[in-house]
Amino acid sequence: MISRSRQRAFVPMVAPAFAFLLTFVLGPALYAVWISLQETAGYGEARFVGLRNYVRLVGDPIFHQALLNTLKLLVIAGGATFLIGFALTMVLREMRGRLIARNVLFFPNIVSALVPAIVAGFLFNPDGLVNTILRGVFGVEDPPKWLSVDNTFALIMIVAIWAAVGYYTTIIMAAVDRIPRYFYEDCALMGANAWQRMRHVTIPLSWDVFSVCALLWTISSIKVFELVLVFGGGTAGMPPNKTWTVALYSYAATYGGSGSPPELGMTAASALFSLLIAALIVLLLRRALDREAIQF
Amino acid sequence: MRTTRSLAPMRAAVWTIVAANVALLAWVVITSLKTTRDVFDHPWRLPIPPTLDNYLTALEVGNFGRAAVNSVIVGLVSSVLAVVIAAPAAYALSRTMNRAGRPLTLLFALGTGVPTQVILLPIFLMLSSLELTSTLTGLTLAYIGTAMPFTVFLLTGFFRSLPGELEEAAALDGAGAWTTFLRVVLPVARPGLVTVFVLQLIVSWNETMLALVLMQETERETLPVALIGFAQQQQYTGTNWGGMFAGICVVVLPMIALFAWVGRRVTDGLTLGMGK
Repeated sequence: MISRSRQRAFVPMVAPAFAFLLTFVLGPALYAVWISLQETAGYGEARFVGLRNYVRLVGDPIFHQALLNTLKLLVIAGGATFLIGFALTMVLREMRGRLIARNVLFFPNIVSALVPAIVAGFLFNPDGLVNTILRGVFGVEDPPKWLSVDNTFALIMIVAIWAAVGYYTTIIMAAVDRIPRYFYEDCALMGANAWQRMRHVTIPLSWDVFSVCALLWTISSIKVFELVLVFGGGTAGMPPNKTWTVALYSYAATYGGSGSPPELGMTAASALFSLLIAALIVLLLRRALDREAIQF
Repeated sequence: MRTTRSLAPMRAAVWTIVAANVALLAWVVITSLKTTRDVFDHPWRLPIPPTLDNYLTALEVGNFGRAAVNSVIVGLVSSVLAVVIAAPAAYALSRTMNRAGRPLTLLFALGTGVPTQVILLPIFLMLSSLELTSTLTGLTLAYIGTAMPFTVFLLTGFFRSLPGELEEAAALDGAGAWTTFLRVVLPVARPGLVTVFVLQLIVSWNETMLALVLMQETERETLPVALIGFAQQQQYTGTNWGGMFAGICVVVLPMIALFAWVGRRVTDGLTLGMGK
């Protein structure tokens, strides 16, 4: 009786959500594959070009740069975020006021990435606050050109780490908090030091959450967009190629507006290409991080 | 405790970072109350008397008032509807009622991995053929749709963590699946639903790429679009940093207030869908 009523309710319960998923996520993703095989400006006629857009991507130095930047975000900023998050967890868990501290560290996460990007322009421009302090207080004659094209992406990564660290700390902290106290009491009895406790209890028992973190970071790093779009205060057009991420490349192919006609096929192809690379990385990560879950 | 001594310098470092974050936020708010001249000439001076001129600039020149209204409407409506649509689906999937359950759950999970740039053009073309671009309805629909993977995924994990006894008792009393869901499960699930609603509200409030592409009329733009527009406008006229900081505050402060109010729901929510 219970099951029959549930069977009948299943379709009407799931259908609306599934319809939205199909209409706005899965359907569009499939349609993007079709667009990626065409040469079209969105108006006029579209020409089927097969894989030519993908071939162009493989040979496009700007796309290489964008991909490299995204991979930097993924590996360097991701690694740093994770290590800092883990270190913060270790410090915070035995600290008074831990929740307040954690919540303050979390707040950049709920702020639009546009905000630190614009504020960075104010702080780091040649006559900005940072250089004023460096000149005035520390007597630095020739402060660094923070926002020169070569330095911008490093700053972008630092802001990305700052914004994400609280989020990952929260996740890691929840995992570490689930580890029963008696494991640590055992450690104390056996005279294990801090490093051994971490190596033999904390890390193995929160391992599954580490792989979740890696997955989440991979997904979010290919989405990094508005932080780069306006970093340094916003330029009227697109920011310099050297700072582009794959999301920016995809956006610019259609909406770059530098006089060249929109190339919808390139937008779709580059977005799918980077999604494919992210999917490969996810698979590799899962392989590398896959260990049998420890029950406790 | 055991490691108390060795961690003392680390603790000091953590509190320094925490203090720096608070100071940064306070500095942004204070700066928004200064005249543009004081912003540069006296970066450390308190704005006495504080001026609200920057906010007038932000409202009049930067269109932040209209944009804030749009953001509130789109954010609230899309987040409420996303939860209303996702909750029954997540419940049905969490109690896997038939063989379709597993692959469907997987499809929703896969959807979380699709970045906006992939679906940007198809959504634009679809909404534009329905004449829904530059309408709040269009953006709201797009936000509900793109919220589905995440909300269903989180809520499925949440419903799984609820014990099934109450539902069995309800079923013994002859209640059908819908009655059980509406009368028994939903009241118990309120914390999870509120969490997902708040998370979704934050996501839609800050969403930029879709809003930028779909909302090309100033009258219909949301806050992130207004902020970008204001920043770009300043390129030609010389940056009005006072107005800019006021605009930033309009974007940031509602979220800070929300977080201060229901922050625990947000941080608890991050681990909702992860099982255990």
